[in-house]
Amino acid sequence: MILFDHVTKSYSGDKKPALDNVSLHIEANEFVFLVGKSGAGKSTLIKMITKEEMPDEGKIIIGGIDLDYVKKRHIPHYRRRIGTVFQDFKLLPTRTVYENVAFALEIAGMSNREIERTVPKVLDLVELSDVAYKFPDNISGGQRQRTSIARAVARQPKILIADEPTGNLDVETGQGILDLLEKINDYGTTVLVTTHDANAVNHLKKRVVTLRDGKIVSDQKEHGIYRLDGDNDGFSLPQPGHLHPETYLMRDQRKQPPRRRLIQ
Amino acid sequence: MNKKSTLNRLKIMAKTGGGHFFRQFARIFKYGAIGFGRNIWLSLTATIVTTLTLILLFATIVAGSVLTSTANAMREKIDISIFFESDTTKEDLAKMAETIKKDSNVKSVEYSTSEEEYEKLYQGYKDSDNQSMLTTLGIVGKEMMIQRQPAAMRIKVYNTDDLSSIKNIVNSDEDFIKHLSKKEDPTYNTNSSAIQTISSWADIATKGGTALSILFLVISTLVIFNTIRMAIYSRSEEIYMEKLVGAGNAFIRGPFLVEAMMSGVFAGIISTVLSLIGYFTLSPRLEAYEIQVGNINTFLAEPKNIILLALAAILTGSVITLISARLAIHKYLKHF
Repeated sequence: MILFDHVTKSYSGDKKPALDNVSLHIEANEFVFLVGKSGAGKSTLIKMITKEEMPDEGKIIIGGIDLDYVKKRHIPHYRRRIGTVFQDFKLLPTRTVYENVAFALEIAGMSNREIERTVPKVLDLVELSDVAYKFPDNISGGQRQRTSIARAVARQPKILIADEPTGNLDVETGQGILDLLEKINDYGTTVLVTTHDANAVNHLKKRVVTLRDGKIVSDQKEHGIYRLDGDNDGFSLPQPGHLHPETYLMRDQRKQPPRRRLIQ
Repeated sequence: MNKKSTLNRLKIMAKTGGGHFFRQFARIFKYGAIGFGRNIWLSLTATIVTTLTLILLFATIVAGSVLTSTANAMREKIDISIFFESDTTKEDLAKMAETIKKDSNVKSVEYSTSEEEYEKLYQGYKDSDNQSMLTTLGIVGKEMMIQRQPAAMRIKVYNTDDLSSIKNIVNSDEDFIKHLSKKEDPTYNTNSSAIQTISSWADIATKGGTALSILFLVISTLVIFNTIRMAIYSRSEEIYMEKLVGAGNAFIRGPFLVEAMMSGVFAGIISTVLSLIGYFTLSPRLEAYEIQVGNINTFLAEPKNIILLALAAILTGSVITLISARLAIHKYLKHF
């Protein structure tokens, strides 16, 4: 579902590349944590998935789409197929919870009737029905993040990217958010969560990919206990012999993972 | 293989993810209208600046037109009057008119015999119901009056500043010398200094006003551009978020353009109302000074012309604000 093949990215003025020959393959229906300290390259990797940044070298294939061929005019359509959740929520402050979720459907051209039918179901899924008509400033941080998730999943994307979704939340609220992301993953959505929060990683016990100085230093499919400090020596480095992009694309097209509708 | 399959997928996405044009247009309009109210200070600023620009534009056009027609009217009044003895015949006058017409500065020549001059005078008093003068004419008697009344030739010229060639003909041509009135000298009633003043005002009003209007158009475009740019800057996070959620450029730009256009439409309406109030308040005073406002009064007497004027103002206002907003948002859409 997500493939990075020897991807390198440097920003002008930086001595070291933000991503250095990164190869990563995330299967459909997987739940993956991308961990690393600030500056490790997590955000750059996310920005490449959302096509805010382009790699200097290497290939990126998302959901069967080779990003090399996604032109500017395709970007809005492409992004509508990916749900994105941010640490700072990025909600429209002058619109209610309901309107924030509806916005994602409006830009996709959904009819008002469909929107009126869909939004309450999404809000029900994220347990926000009782604050539907409140403004973001009048709800808690956890509820704001749920709103952000509701907006991201309203169009039932195959991929959900969450960039530090628990970063601004207390442990308990953060765990609630992670449980919600797991629930979404259970319905067949591929979920990629970046974090530097060890609690978050240990809470769900999923695959953990560790980035350090722009390189993948560990890809832990069998979950151990992740430590924020230390050298992560307990994790094995990614194995060589990644699938070639062509092979991946063909395989991705053939292989349809079991997927239930998130919103009926 | 990668390219073909990617392009196929993107094609399907574009086909299924667009939405009905009118539905999206209505949504853009709705968000624009909401934005206009939400950013009321920005909206007010843009509206006021555009209104001032449009009023200035209206004033320039009116001033240019009024002063030009006043100068023209005054030019029309200018003539050279040459008087002849009362026994000068129509044929004599025609011959002299032919002679004077040969001068390139002569625009037109009119002439009348003593009798015709008397009839004009009499008709003039009759029309103005000037009983005392009519009584006097009656007492003096028509025959006597015709004998006293000189025949006249009225000449209009192109260049009021140089009448030497005409004077030369009048003073040297045989026919003129023979028939010129001994009682009344020719009058060279040019008022050229007054006309020159008004002409130069008209020129200043037209040229200076146009320059000033262009300057104001540029200033208002810049002011609106910067105000909108600041507003967009404060909302850049929103634009960023909208782009990441998959909003197309048209969907993001649209509401800003609608907001700006609403300022232009309101400015057009307000400036038309204020300009008309100002004009109708001032025009009687201008008329008192013999400033020609007739053309504009005739134009504004037609209700459809007032509607046309309002539409022109709305269109101009919208164009100014739309260009400003388009320029302001371009940078942000390009950036994300």
